[in-house]
Amino acid sequence: MRKQFKKTVMDLALKNDKIVLIFGDVSVYLFKDFSEKYPDRFYNMGICENTLVSVGAGVSSRGLIPFIHTIAPFITERSFEQIKLDMCYNNFGGNIVSCGASFDYAWDGATHHCYTDLAILRTLPNIEVIQPGSCKELDVLLRSQYDNGKPTYFRLSDHPHNIDMEVEFGKGVVLKDAGADITVVTAGPLLGNVWEACSDLPVNVLYFHTIKPVDKELIQRYKDTKIMVFHDAFGLYEAICELGELSVSRYGIPDEFCSWYGTLAEIREKIGIDVKSIRDVVKRSTKKRS
Amino acid sequence: MIPECKRIRENILKISNKSGHGHIPTCFSVVEVLYALYSIIKCDPKDPLYKNRDIFVLSKGHAALALYCILAQFGYFDIKKVYSLGSFMSDFGCHADRFKVPGIEVSTGSLGHGIGVATGMALALRIQKSQRHVYTLIGDGEANEGAVWEAIMVASDLRLSNLTVIYDNNRSHPRGLQIQKPVEIFKGFGCDVAEVPGHDIAVLQQEFKKRADTVRVVVANSKKGFGCKTFIDNQYEWHRKSPTDNELEILMRELDEKAV
Repeated sequence: MRKQFKKTVMDLALKNDKIVLIFGDVSVYLFKDFSEKYPDRFYNMGICENTLVSVGAGVSSRGLIPFIHTIAPFITERSFEQIKLDMCYNNFGGNIVSCGASFDYAWDGATHHCYTDLAILRTLPNIEVIQPGSCKELDVLLRSQYDNGKPTYFRLSDHPHNIDMEVEFGKGVVLKDAGADITVVTAGPLLGNVWEACSDLPVNVLYFHTIKPVDKELIQRYKDTKIMVFHDAFGLYEAICELGELSVSRYGIPDEFCSWYGTLAEIREKIGIDVKSIRDVVKRSTKKRS
Repeated sequence: MIPECKRIRENILKISNKSGHGHIPTCFSVVEVLYALYSIIKCDPKDPLYKNRDIFVLSKGHAALALYCILAQFGYFDIKKVYSLGSFMSDFGCHADRFKVPGIEVSTGSLGHGIGVATGMALALRIQKSQRHVYTLIGDGEANEGAVWEAIMVASDLRLSNLTVIYDNNRSHPRGLQIQKPVEIFKGFGCDVAEVPGHDIAVLQQEFKKRADTVRVVVANSKKGFGCKTFIDNQYEWHRKSPTDNELEILMRELDEKAV
């Protein structure tokens, strides 16, 4: 998805000379073309995530459009106060683009896992929170939101799903309406597992790429069904629960550090969001209901 | 102390007395710095957003009351409005809000943020090939925050010659950790550094006009509570205390005496 990020930004920069890239020592080689073509609009500022965000806010205050980009836990959890105050409270807009969220860096262990980003950022006023699941979704959502004057968070993934669909910012997608009394809900790349696990089961399947603002109207349509949220992060479940008076259960991140290494697939299996585990849980629920 | 700065200190004391708010000794240490700055920067109090203005960011956000009194002195608004300081519907909070107060460029309060935002502003103005200059005021207590040094490192690496960082060296270290040898430290980060007396307006004005080929740091050696003996002698007690009517009388009298 990072390659798509570069492709879209290169294209946008042709038409918009306000774009300024502020990178924290990642994707620097990938953006070599950009840095050579626009040397005064590309800055690798090294390893100082708090200041990346503050500088981005300052750049935005003068009417330019920053893309602040580095690894998810450091730019969101470590720099939460800078995002809260320098961007959201001051309403200096701009784009925060992370990579390596959830377990994309599985082998690096718990210091590099990041599954609270969506949940903590969505608590901030003025911000938009987006988790594209595929390269196409990233391209569409980046183009529609990058210049909206608001702080906007894009969470890139190294493991996009391969399900093709039309997407629009702020709108959830009904992948399957079986008229069932169970609705399986997910967001981002995990859709790949969820769809493989559930597409032939008697359940509805909803998909979200925009965590804030979440598509409340769509959730309302399924309010009388049992909602099962599968997600490799916090944030979507909480957004859905805010509607109130729903029957919602959450599957994904446990209340303990995921202190294993290995691969994304291995960690997903361990915490029960691999294809088989999802299928087993959903099947059990459908049997209970029938 | 020049009469204008004495009047500003009187306003700080009276507003704190009426409102029950304000970090007075912190405010007193930067009165001359702010007065000197606003007397030389490009700005228009009648049109605070005029497009060629220089930019000032109060990173040391606790000194908001001093900045309000300076802005009022220079004609941005009537000082009477500031008497509502810290009350529910007031535009004038104990930390400044850029959406409420004319002349405030960035809402600050939490320490270590303004300098990073100012760095970004200077970078943007350089990209835009603007001649405008960015100033930010940080405190030595604030410099306990790691983000201050991140920003200095970035500003220096980018050689932001359109950024001046004013370091209020008011020795507030009893409250925080002492930054040993700030001049040498800033030099070590690659900044162009000047060290000046923090209450000498002519010297400060001269330093604020100077430019270098990289970020400039003006270390202003000030006194916390400058102007009133009571504050100098009792820094801990007065960090965030407002004077009673009786105390106000004593403090106003002290201001009339030769500055300590």
